[in-house]
Amino acid sequence: MTAWINVGRYHLVDPIAYLVAPWAILAFVFLINLVITEAEGGPNPTKALAVIYLCFFGLGILSAGGSLPFGLALGASRRSYYTGTLLLAVALAAADGLGLALLQVAERGTHGWGLALHVFQVSYILAGPWYLTWLTSFVGLTLLFVYGMWYGIIYRRWNRFGLVAFIVGQVAVIRVWIVIVDRGHNWGGAGFSFTPSPMGLTAVLAALAVVLLIGGFALMRRVSV
Amino acid sequence: MTPTISVSGLTRRYRGQRALDDVTFDIDGPSITGLLGRNGAGKTTLMRIIATQEFASAGSVRVLGSSPVENGAVLRRMVLVREDQTFPRLRVRHLLRAASWFYPNWSGGLAEGLVADFNLPLNRNVGGLSRGMRTALGIVIGLAARAEVTMFDEPYAGLDAVARQLFYDRMLADFTDHPRTMLVSTHLIDEAADLLERVLVIDQGRIVLDAAADDLRGAATTVSGTVDAVEEFAAGRAVWDRRSIGSQESVVVSGVLDDDDRARARQLRLSLTPLSLQQLVSQVPGRSNQDLKEDQSA
Amino acid sequence: MLDEGAPIFSQIAERLSEEIAEGVLAEGERVPSTNELAAYYRINPATAAKGINVLTDGGLLEKRRGIGMFVAARARERLLETRRQRFTERYVEPLVAEANRLGIDAESVVALVRESSAAGGGVRV
Repeated sequence: MTAWINVGRYHLVDPIAYLVAPWAILAFVFLINLVITEAEGGPNPTKALAVIYLCFFGLGILSAGGSLPFGLALGASRRSYYTGTLLLAVALAAADGLGLALLQVAERGTHGWGLALHVFQVSYILAGPWYLTWLTSFVGLTLLFVYGMWYGIIYRRWNRFGLVAFIVGQVAVIRVWIVIVDRGHNWGGAGFSFTPSPMGLTAVLAALAVVLLIGGFALMRRVSV
Repeated sequence: MTPTISVSGLTRRYRGQRALDDVTFDIDGPSITGLLGRNGAGKTTLMRIIATQEFASAGSVRVLGSSPVENGAVLRRMVLVREDQTFPRLRVRHLLRAASWFYPNWSGGLAEGLVADFNLPLNRNVGGLSRGMRTALGIVIGLAARAEVTMFDEPYAGLDAVARQLFYDRMLADFTDHPRTMLVSTHLIDEAADLLERVLVIDQGRIVLDAAADDLRGAATTVSGTVDAVEEFAAGRAVWDRRSIGSQESVVVSGVLDDDDRARARQLRLSLTPLSLQQLVSQVPGRSNQDLKEDQSA
Repeated sequence: MLDEGAPIFSQIAERLSEEIAEGVLAEGERVPSTNELAAYYRINPATAAKGINVLTDGGLLEKRRGIGMFVAARARERLLETRRQRFTERYVEPLVAEANRLGIDAESVVALVRESSAAGGGVRV
């Protein structure tokens, strides 16, 4: 347990990356959107929220790619490094998710910040009550963090070549998926019939996160630094 | 007594090559052992495997009585300082703080003193450090951790002679006050020779020499003088090297020379120069451990 | 400081013996500790300890618990005695051999010794 705490502390030794940066970037993008909407009645709703999800993706890469060698050098086992990092990610996702949910409430309350600007409300998936928004955000942020960790670990194990293979592999899978979907419009197995509701989608994302989580650990077990 | 480090049949195959080939040795602590060999001989691979940063293809490692792989209890009592360590992009003081959490014996006082000794800029990002400063940072972490098993892999990249001597002095001083098991790999052998109790020489992945440092001193001598005198002296002894120019000859004779030998050499007007540890070690690949031992008793 | 040709521990033992023989280290005087020797010569403390042990085993040093290592009583005498025994072997025999090689007869050798001794104010012959 102490090992997990030490790993978490290690990531936070310079709090800026994990605690401040996601919000600073989001605030910056938010302000720009505010200014633009004020001036021109700009894009509405915006995709500004994607920025914090991208940040978590980046932090995932950082945690399992950049910070990994020194972390293992300090004597963390791979198991405790992975677990400690994951626990940190989950805690951050929960906290930041709550923040996003509260901002959504504020946005509704001010009718889109007085400008009908929708940053924290996203139709279909982030349009419900605050606690469901919290849950969905939590799952989404965690998913992107773990996905980022995959990139970090793959880079450490197989370098640039491995990364390229990983990306190309995913692109190939997606293309195959699209072909399958094209060919069978009514084929339920393509997955579309899975998601009639926002909660259904959240559940799928959560399942995906869990799969990546387990897979990530399997990848980390044999990484050399 | 259980050896502190026990390596048995360790092999590491990589792209058809054997980076390590059936390596076996035990190290008892507290002690300072030198791991010597040329670049690419396998020193770094060996230390990385002991520290579980890399995996062996075959064989076993035991540290402090158990396998260190994924073993937190052992890992926190062990530190490996590598000259090619990848650091996260943090400031020096952050890295030192992080290290202080992981090592139960961490000494903040020692770390402070060493930072001052090496003039490390605490607030600078590690990315902005020179090679020598990165090495110094590694040294600070390695020594201040006061880990029971402390390993240094070529801890001198970018350090000038003065800084290196500072490292040896500080290492020796802290070792004296807090004895532990130290394994130091180096190819600057003569600098460290006086600190080592034991020497392991590795060449192309194999251990080619495993001896006490004291046994190696005087183990071979360069004998020079006139050809006749040298040949007379060297008769019946194992000779490793022979060079001549005109009527002068110089051979390397193995086996410790006693007072009688020296007296005889004086009579024959020969000059005797013992081989330094560095010279000895560079002679070893191509000769087996057996050869050296036999030469000693001849 | 240290010679490459002989084990460090025996060189440490040699030097301390020298100091005792010459009276620089007097009987009952404290000898540098293992750690002090290690720091001074920049060697491994275990090696320094080995050197001290050689002298302790030879009865030249004695340990006083909690305080340190001290020159034993009559250590100097014992050292000089050993050296006297070796004098012939180490100095006289080579001298004679060299004299023979150079064709210097015994009496001339004695005369040379007298001269040298008078100049150096040493041995009374």
